[in-house]
Amino acid sequence: MLELKQVGAAYDQVQVLFDVSMNVKPGEIHCLLGRNGAGKTTTLKTIMGLVTANKGTLSFNNVSLNGLSAHQIPKQKIAYVPQGRGLFTELSVAQNIEVGLMVRGKGTSTKDKVLELFPRLKERLKQRAETLSGGEQQMLAMARALCIEPDLILLDEPTEGLQPSMIQLIRDVTIKMRDEGAAILLVEQRIDAVLSIADRVSFIERGVIAETVTASSVQNNPAMLTRYLGV
Amino acid sequence: MDFGPHLFLALLEGSITAAVLALTAVGLSLVFGIMRVVNVAHGEFFMLGAVFAWWITSMLGAHPVLGFVLALLFAPLLVGLIAATTDYLILRRINYNPERTIVATIGVLYIIQQLTLMTFGPEARPVTAPFNKRIALPWFENGADGFTLIWPWGLGTTTYKLAVIVAAVVILLMLWLVLTRTKWGLIMRATQLNSDMATAHGIPVDKVYAMVFGLGAALAALGAVLVVPIQQAHYLMGADPLLLSFIVVIIGGLGSLLGTVVAAVFIGLSDGIISVFFSPTLAKILATLLVAFVLIFKPNGLFGKSAE
Repeated sequence: MLELKQVGAAYDQVQVLFDVSMNVKPGEIHCLLGRNGAGKTTTLKTIMGLVTANKGTLSFNNVSLNGLSAHQIPKQKIAYVPQGRGLFTELSVAQNIEVGLMVRGKGTSTKDKVLELFPRLKERLKQRAETLSGGEQQMLAMARALCIEPDLILLDEPTEGLQPSMIQLIRDVTIKMRDEGAAILLVEQRIDAVLSIADRVSFIERGVIAETVTASSVQNNPAMLTRYLGV
Repeated sequence: MDFGPHLFLALLEGSITAAVLALTAVGLSLVFGIMRVVNVAHGEFFMLGAVFAWWITSMLGAHPVLGFVLALLFAPLLVGLIAATTDYLILRRINYNPERTIVATIGVLYIIQQLTLMTFGPEARPVTAPFNKRIALPWFENGADGFTLIWPWGLGTTTYKLAVIVAAVVILLMLWLVLTRTKWGLIMRATQLNSDMATAHGIPVDKVYAMVFGLGAALAALGAVLVVPIQQAHYLMGADPLLLSFIVVIIGGLGSLLGTVVAAVFIGLSDGIISVFFSPTLAKILATLLVAFVLIFKPNGLFGKSAE
């Protein structure tokens, strides 16, 4: 289980997170919602160690993440799909996947399993990542993350700018990962789509987790969305 | 000597400059491409390579071939270790900030230069070439009897100079293979393309940076070891390679290894020709002017990509 207690983080002198306390359980899709600039992406980056937490504690499966170097965090079976996909654009599809496999020394069987989820990538293994369509790039970002065989997946706006068929595919894979026992922390703008697959929702306001509730309680209480997101 | 053979000789001398320059500039380009660090101390790593080559060969006093082979192995290794330590002690601590790294590497330049002066003295130090057989080169003459082979006086080179060119080509090919065909190459390229995502995939970017900084310096040192039997080791010899490397890297495109090699060949050959027919100073002036034109009309260099 991922556990964050009173986490704070800053970019240089600008404090962005003040008090982020939440947990994500195995086999759960936990959605982090908030307005632009509320600290959603920074929360994910802080979990990955890309932004250093300057207060509070982070742990995953009872291992403290605070004391680990950023490059050691994915070895704890934590995968990150960033906003904008973060692909190695000049590398081929196969090479991007190879980087994912290197994290935990995984081999061909993991690769085959991942490519079964995204058969279209199989046809484009030699193609440079930058030449793929937006949807294929998102598939590759997900595939690369899944090569870690993660217990926790951090997804930052995975359906941004995608056509409906791609959104459905990403959604299906996310649910499949959850059903296989992975914990998923999801940041997404498309609230309706999120609420239909999420188990719990945390609302973040100006770097503070304001409230954590079940997804069904949000659906039953739309005023909550108005209060925290202005929609 | 007629113009034709004279030009051929100039091209040959230029090829040696191009070969050494390609090695040195590729080191600089690699460091900039992956770390975004403009290493002003790069010329001093070149100089250290040459001075260490002299030190190793003179300390051992062994057979020239054995001494040179040991210098070829250990001088770049020592320089690479010094560079990696510099990365660890200085560049990492200023978080690879572009402006600060320029100032820091200027400091490193003077520290290395003065330490070398204090340790090894101001004299130019010769290194004996492992082999240096003089060979005459033929030329063609179109006379009354058609094309005939002639041996113009003064048209020749040495086996060592030819070996320098071959060695540089082999080393560059090996580097290309490492970068494109090995796991280490993949790690370096992933780090270059997106260091945050490389970290998020378990790549220890700090260690990669130290290794790349060491490798870049070792390549410069390797170029210096190859050229030191031709031009001697001296504590002030780093300035020219630094200037020429910057010229080459800017013309080729910052971070583009292919561009760097192409530009090194172009600048090396033109330097050879202009130096032979006019003067070495004019060659530098023209090369610097060319950089100015490239910066005006193609700011990213011939093979460079625009910054994202």
